[in-house]
Amino acid sequence: MENYINSYIRPRIQGDGGEIEYLSREGDEVTVVFRGECSKCLILDRCIKWIEQRALEDTGEAIKINGIRKRPYFQDR
Amino acid sequence: MAQIKVERRSMRVQEWIDLRFGWLKRHIYSEKYEIDCFTVREARQTSEMQFEFYDEKPRPLKKGDLYFTPDGTAFIEAELDVPPSLRGRDYCFLLKTAAEMIVKVNGKYAGGIDPNRERFDLSSIVPDTHIKIEITGYNRSKPDDERNPESLSVRGCRQIFEGGYLAVVDTGVQSLVYDVELLTDAASCGLFSEDFSALVYRHLDKAMSMIDYDNVLSEDVRSAAEYLELNVFSDKLYRGSGSVELVAHSHLDIAYYWRRIHSVQKNMRTVLIQLRLMDKYPEFRYSHTQAYTYETLEKYYPEVFEELARRIEEGRFEPAGGMYVEPDCNIPSAESLIRQCLYGQTYFREKFGITVNNAWLPDVFGNSWILPQILKKSGMDYFVSNKMSTWNDTNRFPHNNFIWRGIDGTEIYACVPPTHFISWNMPSQVQGNWDAFQDKDTGTSTMQMFGYGDGGSGVTEEMLEYMRRFSRLSVMPETKHVSGSDFLERNFTPEKPLAVWDDELYLEMHRGTFTTKAKLKDYNRKAEYLFREAELVSLLRSEKGEEYPADEIREAYKKLMINQFHDILPGSHITPVYRDAIADYEEITALLTRIIGTGDRYFNSLNFPREEVTFIPDESGSFIRKGVKGRFTKADLPALSCGDIAYENADEWIKITPDSVETPFYKALLAQDGSFLSLFDKELEREWVKGEFNTLKLYDDRPGNYDAWDILPDYKEHPVPVETAEPLRFMCSDGECAEFCALLKAGESYWCRIIRFFRRSRGIEVENIVDWKEKHKLAKAAFGCKVLSRELVCDTSAGYIRRPTHTNTSWQQARFEVCTHNWCDISETSGGIAIINENKYGAGAQGSCVTLSLLRAPERPDPTSDTGLHNFCYMIYPHAGDFISAKINRKALEYNVPLMKNDIDYCGPDFAPLCLQSMKLSEDGTMAVYRLSEQDGMRGRLDLGRKMKVLNMLEDEIGETDCVEYSPFEIITLGAEI
Repeated sequence: MENYINSYIRPRIQGDGGEIEYLSREGDEVTVVFRGECSKCLILDRCIKWIEQRALEDTGEAIKINGIRKRPYFQDR
Repeated sequence: MAQIKVERRSMRVQEWIDLRFGWLKRHIYSEKYEIDCFTVREARQTSEMQFEFYDEKPRPLKKGDLYFTPDGTAFIEAELDVPPSLRGRDYCFLLKTAAEMIVKVNGKYAGGIDPNRERFDLSSIVPDTHIKIEITGYNRSKPDDERNPESLSVRGCRQIFEGGYLAVVDTGVQSLVYDVELLTDAASCGLFSEDFSALVYRHLDKAMSMIDYDNVLSEDVRSAAEYLELNVFSDKLYRGSGSVELVAHSHLDIAYYWRRIHSVQKNMRTVLIQLRLMDKYPEFRYSHTQAYTYETLEKYYPEVFEELARRIEEGRFEPAGGMYVEPDCNIPSAESLIRQCLYGQTYFREKFGITVNNAWLPDVFGNSWILPQILKKSGMDYFVSNKMSTWNDTNRFPHNNFIWRGIDGTEIYACVPPTHFISWNMPSQVQGNWDAFQDKDTGTSTMQMFGYGDGGSGVTEEMLEYMRRFSRLSVMPETKHVSGSDFLERNFTPEKPLAVWDDELYLEMHRGTFTTKAKLKDYNRKAEYLFREAELVSLLRSEKGEEYPADEIREAYKKLMINQFHDILPGSHITPVYRDAIADYEEITALLTRIIGTGDRYFNSLNFPREEVTFIPDESGSFIRKGVKGRFTKADLPALSCGDIAYENADEWIKITPDSVETPFYKALLAQDGSFLSLFDKELEREWVKGEFNTLKLYDDRPGNYDAWDILPDYKEHPVPVETAEPLRFMCSDGECAEFCALLKAGESYWCRIIRFFRRSRGIEVENIVDWKEKHKLAKAAFGCKVLSRELVCDTSAGYIRRPTHTNTSWQQARFEVCTHNWCDISETSGGIAIINENKYGAGAQGSCVTLSLLRAPERPDPTSDTGLHNFCYMIYPHAGDFISAKINRKALEYNVPLMKNDIDYCGPDFAPLCLQSMKLSEDGTMAVYRLSEQDGMRGRLDLGRKMKVLNMLEDEIGETDCVEYSPFEIITLGAEI
């Protein structure tokens, strides 16, 4: 899953000025860090759902993404 | 019972107007027919017009469905019969979206939709009763313009489809909406008189109360409009002053929060929107820049390109800006800037028969002093750039319409409009521009650009509707809608008493862009010199019958031009843009290396004899420099000649004690971190060190939102300790060089410094190998010099610029970080120190301390910026006399242009003492072209020994001579028939 997120999901997220970093996995829960534009996105939950759907379709694994936003100090919280 | 604090409040008249205005806007569409047969196929763009699809087949797309994916392109289609009730009437296509869409209907490019506009007229373009709609939509998390608040709320990668419609616009309501928007802006902006605002609000309130919002009737809307006409638009009591000329333009970043592959569609959408507006508004004229964007339109959308060409012929669509793209104007070399002009103008000439007479660079981050000459000799008499007036953080730039005198004395007309290049044509913006205009007493008008931009988009119908109303609003300045060249040609004439600005156009902001994304800067510098070598070698080979690879070189050069765009080379972009740029640079490097080829002997491509020690890759050498094994030697090769090199053996040329190093030139005391405690010059009998010298400095670097762009003036107040992990130790030596190494810990990063002393050179090289793991840090090397000077002299690549090192005034204080090319120097009459670099552009100086910026680590727009391995060198070069007598420019060229292995011969003139910037085949293939620059501020004559053509930078013949009289910093282009 780490490889999948890094090699498949990450370039797509980066394409919109975002950033995703794989952090850990416990069972079906995958924890990732969102930076860049993702960190302040108002509708990030829709994107997380899309990642879960893609992962299921591409890897056959049903995962649940736990997204942690890391905003730079200068962005609104 | 809970106690609730009740506050009584009443609504102000403005709030009542706003409330009713919201109700009125609900009635813009008198009829809407939902298109319920949309399908969508999600994809991701992989290269220009190439897509990877997620779905094999389209899926139905219904209102409320999610569509678009991260970095996604959506292909949306619908096929339907136009409802009978709409046939023969005017209707539009309506779709509200945060995405950017190009809409094709029945095979014809019908219009564009984006966050700034939700509809376009359809029946006038495609009057058919059966229509097939094909949409290419690209969604980005950053809509075109953050100043458009409505677009901010809907950004994000996954969008909810809000439905698509065929709709009939109630033109009465729509017109009243424009009236109210215009008047509300004028009344609320605070730029016009209070009495005028009171008048507008009073009558707007009355007009809005004429409509029953439960049952909006056309006659009520008409009455309200007539009331406003009679009481506000016809009122001439309040009179404005001034003259503002309105130029329609859309700023299009080739890459920024998107890749250049996406700018193909962004440009297409922008152009298409403007063309459709031209259909509807006969008075509309639009100015569009960057030959590259025309090229992509021609390649991928030929039918739209043809339409555009027709509008150019009519004089309504104006190619503006003669450059290939809008490049950064600090970092590219003189030759690169010349090529921007050459390739831009050549395209415009070939396709439209036009030589564009202006440089249109609204968003660039400051402008090198070498530009006026380059522009003028490339057919451009006018220069336009907005940043200095709107972004300077310290001083207000004193002029808007002025004459810019360049480094060589060339004068060019310059327009720095008082306000931003993105505006939406509101009365407040027009008045704001006039208020800010500083050259009112010259009798010139001020320029206001209007149109959404950054990612294109351009003018909207609203903007043109407002413009039609401006002349009816007497309180406003006089306005005129013109093309860019129209404005420039009429307002900049010899009779106008324009001030002269005789200096670079330094931007007091974005100083970090000289350093951010160090690898791009490295590749760029190397590519610039590789092009020089490849063209020179190819030309010499072609004289012996080999084919000159003109097309290959031109295409590669254009790729370099694209990557010099002002959000690519400066480093202000997202991660994929960086990857694209690196891939391009690698491709360019591979191609040029192949073209240059190799040989048994060494060729000195510089047009002066080599005098310095140079590194020669050699498996038997004792040194590893930048990962390559080799050795140093002094290559005594004459100008433009081929020969062999020899190695000398010398014993005991260096004395090393635990705390000192003695070479033929110096006795140096070195600290454990590789800094110098003392550098005593044995030959000149003087000390060079005063304070920290060759000290690695790390600073907290947190400029805020403009992270990649800016360095704050107080960065020095936030130092971060640098520790010595392994103290300096002797590594190895041979007969030419001795090497020392220290390992430092700077923040979280290990930083290896290799210091090299030479037997036969005054230069002291410092190689840096860094595993850079920082965030928000700035690394600099500091050189406290025992030199009394109040000037830092910086290379511009075609001459030098002197900048004060004191902070007497706010103008000097603001230049705490400046752009330099191959070298900078601080000298007194009897001697000085040059810092020669191979890929750095940011320097600072205060008093006698010079700093060279080495690395940054911003997080926005690219969270991965600059992290990873870096390996770069610089050279400390103490010298006698000043930088000219010490030939520092030549030494820096030697440092940047390594000897190449090549068995070629040259038997022409060496053009000394001028610098041979370039030697190439002319674009038409008929001449050898020689570009020469005077670098030292000298005047003189150069005997050519034969008749040669004198050319401008577009390679047009302007004369013939056998003797060139050159003046300080002049760039001369000569041609010789083959």
